[in-house]
Amino acid sequence: MARTDSLEMGELTDTAYYILLSLVEARHGYLIMKNIESITNNRFSVGPASMYTTIKKLLSANLIRIYDDSDQKKKTYIATEKGIELLEKEVQRRREMVIHAEKVLKQRGEIEG
Amino acid sequence: MKKTKYIPSGGLAFTEEKDMKILAQYAKKGWMVERFTNFGYKLVVGEPKNIDYSLDYQKGADEEYFLFFEEAGWSHVCSIGDEIHLFCATAGTKPIYTDTPTTIEKYEREKKQMGKSALPLLISTIVFLFLSNIDWGFELAGVVMWILGTLSLVLLIFPGLPYLGYQYKLMKLKKGSLH
Repeated sequence: MARTDSLEMGELTDTAYYILLSLVEARHGYLIMKNIESITNNRFSVGPASMYTTIKKLLSANLIRIYDDSDQKKKTYIATEKGIELLEKEVQRRREMVIHAEKVLKQRGEIEG
Repeated sequence: MKKTKYIPSGGLAFTEEKDMKILAQYAKKGWMVERFTNFGYKLVVGEPKNIDYSLDYQKGADEEYFLFFEEAGWSHVCSIGDEIHLFCATAGTKPIYTDTPTTIEKYEREKKQMGKSALPLLISTIVFLFLSNIDWGFELAGVVMWILGTLSLVLLIFPGLPYLGYQYKLMKLKKGSLH
């Protein structure tokens, strides 16, 4: 499983990114799904199988932790300090990616314009 | 009129997508999946419904797992052990896997399971067939080794072919994604 595991590379998949972002506040599964749809205006959604797999992964990487499991069915999760740190690093990485692209595309526009 | 129907499967490792489509077509005519059988599905008469079916592999699936599906509109239909799970939802419901990395993991998990069963059989096939070629001084020993080797080979097919099926599926998935 190690192969192209982005978590081990210190990067987040889009799904992990939005789940972690939703867990800045404690939430359970359904609310995570709903929150992702609401902050992205339904541009991004996470199916239940992708959600379950990714939550298990974030848990084992200590990026999130169980906040409340008094209801075994409806466990709530919250991001750990480590999770928030990685999220911030990831936001920076993605911001840089956008800046790179904007630079290149702007240059292209100037040449063509 | 008969109330049950048995539909064969080409093996989940090979015809998962096709199976799901066929099951959806039957559901439209009022034939609903009741459970898995050894080689396919048992359908029972019900109300015609426009639904999609989806399959997942998840060992040790817990209550939370099924709740995630329920909340997303996917009802649990049946399972094989605590490992292979079939779900259905109103046609057009968002899929259970929404990204390639987790879809790849789905098949990696099942490939690993098959590999665990296939490896000892692969080893015994090789060892017994090798031993059958050794001159034991009496013919019977060689024959017994050959029989054991062939038996291992026959058994190896059951986890071995699905293993290759998942391997092929993963190859296609990885090629299709730019990860």
